[in-house]
Amino acid sequence: MSLKARDQHSFSYLYDNYAGALYSIVLQVVPDKELASDVLQEVFVNIWRKIESYDPSKGRLFTWMLNVARNLAIDMVRSKAYQNSQKNQGMPESAFFDKAGSTTQQSVDNIGLKKVVGKLKTEHRVLIDLAYFKGYTHEEIAEIENLPLGTVKTRIRSALIQLRDYLK
Amino acid sequence: MNIKEYISSGIIESYVLGLASNEERAEFEQLSSMHAELRQAREAFEISLEQHALDNAVNPPVALKQKIWNDIDWRATGAATTVGQPIQQPLTPVRSMSFAKFLAAASVILLAGSTLLNFYFYNQYKSTSTQLQDLIAQNQQMASNNIIMQTKLQQYEKSFVIFSDTNMYVVAMKGQPVAPQSITTVYWNRQTKDVYLLINDLQQPVSGKQYQLWAIVDGVPVDAGMLDMSLVGGLVKMKNIPKAQAFAITLENAGGSKTPTMPIYVMGKT
Repeated sequence: MSLKARDQHSFSYLYDNYAGALYSIVLQVVPDKELASDVLQEVFVNIWRKIESYDPSKGRLFTWMLNVARNLAIDMVRSKAYQNSQKNQGMPESAFFDKAGSTTQQSVDNIGLKKVVGKLKTEHRVLIDLAYFKGYTHEEIAEIENLPLGTVKTRIRSALIQLRDYLK
Repeated sequence: MNIKEYISSGIIESYVLGLASNEERAEFEQLSSMHAELRQAREAFEISLEQHALDNAVNPPVALKQKIWNDIDWRATGAATTVGQPIQQPLTPVRSMSFAKFLAAASVILLAGSTLLNFYFYNQYKSTSTQLQDLIAQNQQMASNNIIMQTKLQQYEKSFVIFSDTNMYVVAMKGQPVAPQSITTVYWNRQTKDVYLLINDLQQPVSGKQYQLWAIVDGVPVDAGMLDMSLVGGLVKMKNIPKAQAFAITLENAGGSKTPTMPIYVMGKT
């Protein structure tokens, strides 16, 4: 694979084709465009560094890059610096999922997977938001939502099946 | 496990989106390696996810690409820069990849271990094999010793039968001046006239010489047989002698003589 051979040309091609898709994913977790572009920069630096650890037998390259992007975005949202900046702006953590919502929330809810997730029932949507966009484990979600772990697992699975059908 | 049910359980979506637990991921990867159906279903979901993401792409700031290009150390190898870099959370495929590498390393270690074991067992086998050869040799030695013992025992049993025969007449033969320490005994059966000789004490003859027993019959020495010195300690059957006044032993050339060569070594009168 030419990318593994550190081919700048290939990497440029990769960026041109996927930066937008990955930026969209990052924005769904980190709504602030400036912060999101910082995360995206980190995403591509990481893709470059870690490309050797990508195993094609485990999935497509995009899936791998998507997970790199999602994880880095979640890390950013969880960082102390980010939490503090959100407090200073007086924005509640769940802001971009509030029904009342700001303009930021409005735009974020209308892009990418968020748009699809928006079609789910509330009880499903909330769990997918916590699991996928906020990166909580099933156990943490059970605690946050005060639900039995089994219920959390079942609801997430059934939400994922619906998402698959929406994506088709 | 029903693979169709597994495919439609939501595990594929969970795995691809990075929401599966470690156990679920390991199970999924194992099953994927066995079922093409499962791999195809995963691929289909990945493609629809990718297509959806591409359709919903948001253009990043134009300047970002150049920033990234300046940020990347193009000469650095991935492995070298990754080491020591606190890269946030381990990413799903990355983690499973290092597990695969771990497995590969583990299998190499297992292979090396088994090679060592083979070498060890081969040495064990060789030494056991040598020990077995030794034991077989020892066993053969014991068996032949046993045969010798059995033969000797039979001789002693025969001797005992002869000794205990009430018809047996005993002639003690005493050492003569040429060999005063020597003692032999003739056991002479009065009924059958069989003669047995017991060598109590008699010097080994020099090579080429052999002791010969004579029966003195009316003053004439009659050949009574040659002594086999290898049978010392047991009774040796000699020739049948119907009548004799005395028995004597002389040293003759191997094979014996027609008439005795003087001197007499031992003699006893009947």
